[in-house]
Amino acid sequence: MTREPERNSRVSRRKLLTAVGGLGAAGLAGCTQQNTGGDATAEPTAADSDGDSSDGSGDGGSQTLSGDIDIAGSSTVFPLATAMGERFEEQHSGVSISLQSTGSGGGFANYFCTGQTDFNNASRPIQPEEEEQCADNDVEPVELKVATDALTVIVNNDNSFIGEGLTVEELEAIWSAESAPETWADVNSEWPDEPLELYGPSDASGTYDYFNETIIGEEGEHRQDYSPTEQDRTIIQGVSGSEFAMGYLGFAYYSQNQDTVQAVSISDGDDEYVEPSLDTALSGEYTPLSRPLFTYPKVAALQEEHIGEFARFWIENSTDEAIVADEVGYVPLSEDEREEMLGRIDEAAGGSD
Amino acid sequence: MATTSDSGEIEGFGQVSRTVGTVFRYLLLAATMFGIVMLGVLLLYVANDAIRPLTADPGWYLVFLLALVVPSAAVGWTVRRRDSEAFNFGTLLVGMLVVSLMFSGGVALLVIDVVPPLVALAYAIGIAVPVGLSVLLTGQAHRISFTPRLAATTALFYLSLFGLPGPVGGALGVPQVVPSLVGAIQSIPVIPVDWMMIAAVVGGGSAAAVGAYAAGIGDRTTGLYAATAAFAATLVAGALGPAVGLGAVPAVVVTAVAFVPTGAYAWRGGFAEEGSPLGLVFAATVVGGALVGALAVDALGFAGPASWVDWGFLTSAHSGTAENAGLYPAIGGSILLMATVAALSFPLGVGAAVYLEEYAPDNALTRFVDVNISNLAGVPSVVYGLLGLGVFVTYLGQSAGTVLVGGATLALLILPIVIISSREAIRSVPSDMRQASYGMGATRWQTVKNVVLPEAFPGILTGTILALGRAIGETAPLIMIGAPNVVFNLPDTLGSKVSAMPLQVYAWSGLFASEDFYTKAVPAGVVVLLAVLLAMNSVAIVLRNKFERTG
Repeated sequence: MTREPERNSRVSRRKLLTAVGGLGAAGLAGCTQQNTGGDATAEPTAADSDGDSSDGSGDGGSQTLSGDIDIAGSSTVFPLATAMGERFEEQHSGVSISLQSTGSGGGFANYFCTGQTDFNNASRPIQPEEEEQCADNDVEPVELKVATDALTVIVNNDNSFIGEGLTVEELEAIWSAESAPETWADVNSEWPDEPLELYGPSDASGTYDYFNETIIGEEGEHRQDYSPTEQDRTIIQGVSGSEFAMGYLGFAYYSQNQDTVQAVSISDGDDEYVEPSLDTALSGEYTPLSRPLFTYPKVAALQEEHIGEFARFWIENSTDEAIVADEVGYVPLSEDEREEMLGRIDEAAGGSD
Repeated sequence: MATTSDSGEIEGFGQVSRTVGTVFRYLLLAATMFGIVMLGVLLLYVANDAIRPLTADPGWYLVFLLALVVPSAAVGWTVRRRDSEAFNFGTLLVGMLVVSLMFSGGVALLVIDVVPPLVALAYAIGIAVPVGLSVLLTGQAHRISFTPRLAATTALFYLSLFGLPGPVGGALGVPQVVPSLVGAIQSIPVIPVDWMMIAAVVGGGSAAAVGAYAAGIGDRTTGLYAATAAFAATLVAGALGPAVGLGAVPAVVVTAVAFVPTGAYAWRGGFAEEGSPLGLVFAATVVGGALVGALAVDALGFAGPASWVDWGFLTSAHSGTAENAGLYPAIGGSILLMATVAALSFPLGVGAAVYLEEYAPDNALTRFVDVNISNLAGVPSVVYGLLGLGVFVTYLGQSAGTVLVGGATLALLILPIVIISSREAIRSVPSDMRQASYGMGATRWQTVKNVVLPEAFPGILTGTILALGRAIGETAPLIMIGAPNVVFNLPDTLGSKVSAMPLQVYAWSGLFASEDFYTKAVPAGVVVLLAVLLAMNSVAIVLRNKFERTG
C-alpha cells in the first residue's frame, strides 16, 4: 500500500517525459502552418474542387464567394433551379444553396414576402396582393424570366376516346367548378360513361393559377373536387393508374415520363390540335398553355455579391439548351431576353451603391 | 369436484382435444411472423434495388466465397465447438470494427467539412482546462465549501470560453478586456498542421477513453500505458497516412475512432485474464478474408455489383441526374441534427427522470405530469413539427429549416421517450442499494450521484440511443419546420439550413419526376438510412446486454 503512490508518480513522470518528447519532436519536425484565420484551414476540399472549375461556363468570377442562398417556390421551376444550383456549387463550393419546393403562391406568402428566402421561383407572374405583402415587409422583388414552359395536360396511355385532342372549351368544362362533370359522358356524349378522375397541382401552385386563369377565366372557378398535390410525381402516378384519369403539370415532368402517360394536344378555337413540345411552345403555336417561368430575387439580396453572382450565372446559362431543354425540359431564353434580364440584375444590384 | 367420464369429457372444460391447442399455437406463430416476414420481404426488395447483387461477376462471388465465406465458416465452426464464448467475442469484435468504421466516417465528415481543426482544438483545450481545474478544486472539497467552489468553477468555464467581460458585458456595451482562452488559441499566428490538431482532439479523446477502459480492467498503470499507446498509434497513423494514400486527416480519424477502440477490445478479449485468443483467430479470419478477397477481385478484374450505394453516393451532393445524385449533405445534416438532439434531450430527459423517480412527492401534480409524459410520447410527430414551427420559427423568430430549429423540434419529440426509458432504468436499480447508501449516512444527492446514476447509466444510454434512432428517421417535423428539399453543402453553423436523410429520400421520391430517382436514388438512400439506424441500435443492444449481464 505504501509503495502505491510512489509507483504512480513514477509512471506519470515517465508519461510526462514521453509527451514532452513527442511534442518537442513534432515541433522540431516543422509540423506547423501559418494561421490564416477563420475557417480557411478547414477547407482543403474547397481548394481541391477549385481546380476543375476553370472550364465552367460561368464568368470566372472570384473563387472566394461564400454565404447562403435560400430558394423556395414553384415546383415547376424547382428542377431548373436545382440544375443551376448544382452547377453553381461546382464552381463556388463556399456558397450553400438550399432549395425548397413550396408552390409559387406558398413560397411568396410564407417564405419570400416574409423575408426568409432570397429567391422565389414562380410559374406565373407575381400577383398584386403578393407585391403588397412583400412591400409591407420591405422586400422588393425583381422579375426574371428564366424559361418557357408548355403546361401539359396528360391522360392515361390507354385513353383513345379523346381522339386527336381536346379543345379549350372541353378543358374548361372538365375543370370548371360550375359544370363539374362527374363522368366523361357529361362533357361529350360520345365519350364513355365513366367517372372522371382528376389530378392536378394544389392551389399553392403557380401551375394551378395559370391554368385557372387561362382555361377557366376570371369569372369562372377551378373545381376543388380533384386530387391536389405539390408532388408532381403523384399526378403522373395517378394518371398512369387509371384509364379514365386526367391531370395537368409542367412539361418537364411529362418529358421525363413520356412512356408512362400521354400528352393531350390542345386546340385553341380553330380545328387544329397542337401537341405540347418545346418547339410548339417556342414558336407560339401551343396556345394558350405555353407560359413563361420566373424567378424573383429580392433587390436587397442581389446586392450581396454571392447572390448577385448566382442570379447572373442562372440567367447566363438560361440560353443553354443542354441544361434547360435536354436535362430539365423547358424552352431556353432567347439571346435578347437574356440580355434584358441581365440588365435587370445589374440595375438592381447596383441600385443603392 | 370434476369427475371424469368415459368419453374423456371433463366437467367445466368440455371435450379435451389437442387439435384446438395446436391450431391456436400455430395461429399465434403466424401472427408473430406476419409482420416480420412482410418487413423482411420489403427490405430485401429495397436492398435488391439499391445494391443490385445480380450485376456482379460470378467470379466475384467465387473469389469471396473462397477467401471469406469458406474459411470464416470453417474457423468459426471449429472455434465455436471448442469455446463458444470465444466465438461470440470474435463476432462482436468484427461487428465492432464495422460499426466503428461507420462512426469514424461520421466523425471524419465533421472534422473535415464542418468544424475547422483550429476551432475544434481551441474548444477542446478551452473545455479541458477548466474541467481539469475544477477536478482539482473538487479534490480540495474538504477545505473549500460548496458555494465558492461552484462560483469558481463557473468563473473558470466562463473565462475560458468567453473571456472577460464576454457576452454579458457585450450586451451592456463593455469592450472585451481579457480574451477568452478559446479566442486566444485561435489567434496564435503559427499553429500545428491540421492533422496534428485533429489528432490532438480526436486522438486525445479516444486515448482518454481507452485509458479509462484499460484502467478498469487492469490498474492505473495499465490505463496510462494503454492511453499513451493509443495516442501514439493515432500520431503514427497521421504520419504514415499519406504514404498509403489515405491522407493524414482521414488516417488519424479512422485510427482514433475505429482501430484504437477495436484494438483495445481485442486486446482485452484476447490476452487479458480469462480471455481467449481463439476469438481473435476467428475475427482475423473474417477481416483478413474480406481484405484478401477485395485484393484478389481487384487483381483478377472481376466486377462487383453495380450498387447505387457506392462511394460517390455517400460523398456527393444532390444532382439533376439520379446516377450522380448523392446523400452527403443529408448524412452530415442528420449527424448534426442528432448531435443537437442528443445535447438538448439527454440532460433535460435524464434530469426529469431523476427528479420524478428520486425526488418527486407522490401527489396529484406528480401523477398529472406522469400521465401527460406518457401521452406526449404517443403524440404524432407532425404535431411536434407544428409546435416547432409555431414556437421556434413564428414566436422566437428563428429562420425556418435550420439545424437549431430542427434539432430542438426533434429533441422535443423524443424527450418523453427519453424520460420514460430513463425512469425505467432508474427504477430498475434495486432499492436495497439505495437503502444501503442511506444506511451509510449518505445524503440523497450522494446516493443519486454515486449509486443510482452509475448503476442506471447503461440503461439510460440504451434508451436515449433508441430514442435517437426514432428521431433520425423522422420526416414530418422537418417538413413542417420548412427544412429545404435540396442542399448542396453541409451546414457549418447551428443557423444553417439543413437537410436530413429521410427528408432527402422523401424529396427524391416525389419532387423529381424521372423514374430513375425512384428506382435508384430512393432505395440507395433507404439502405444508407437503415444501415445508420442499425449501427445505432446495435450499440444500444450491446450496451443493454452488457448491462443485463453485470447488473
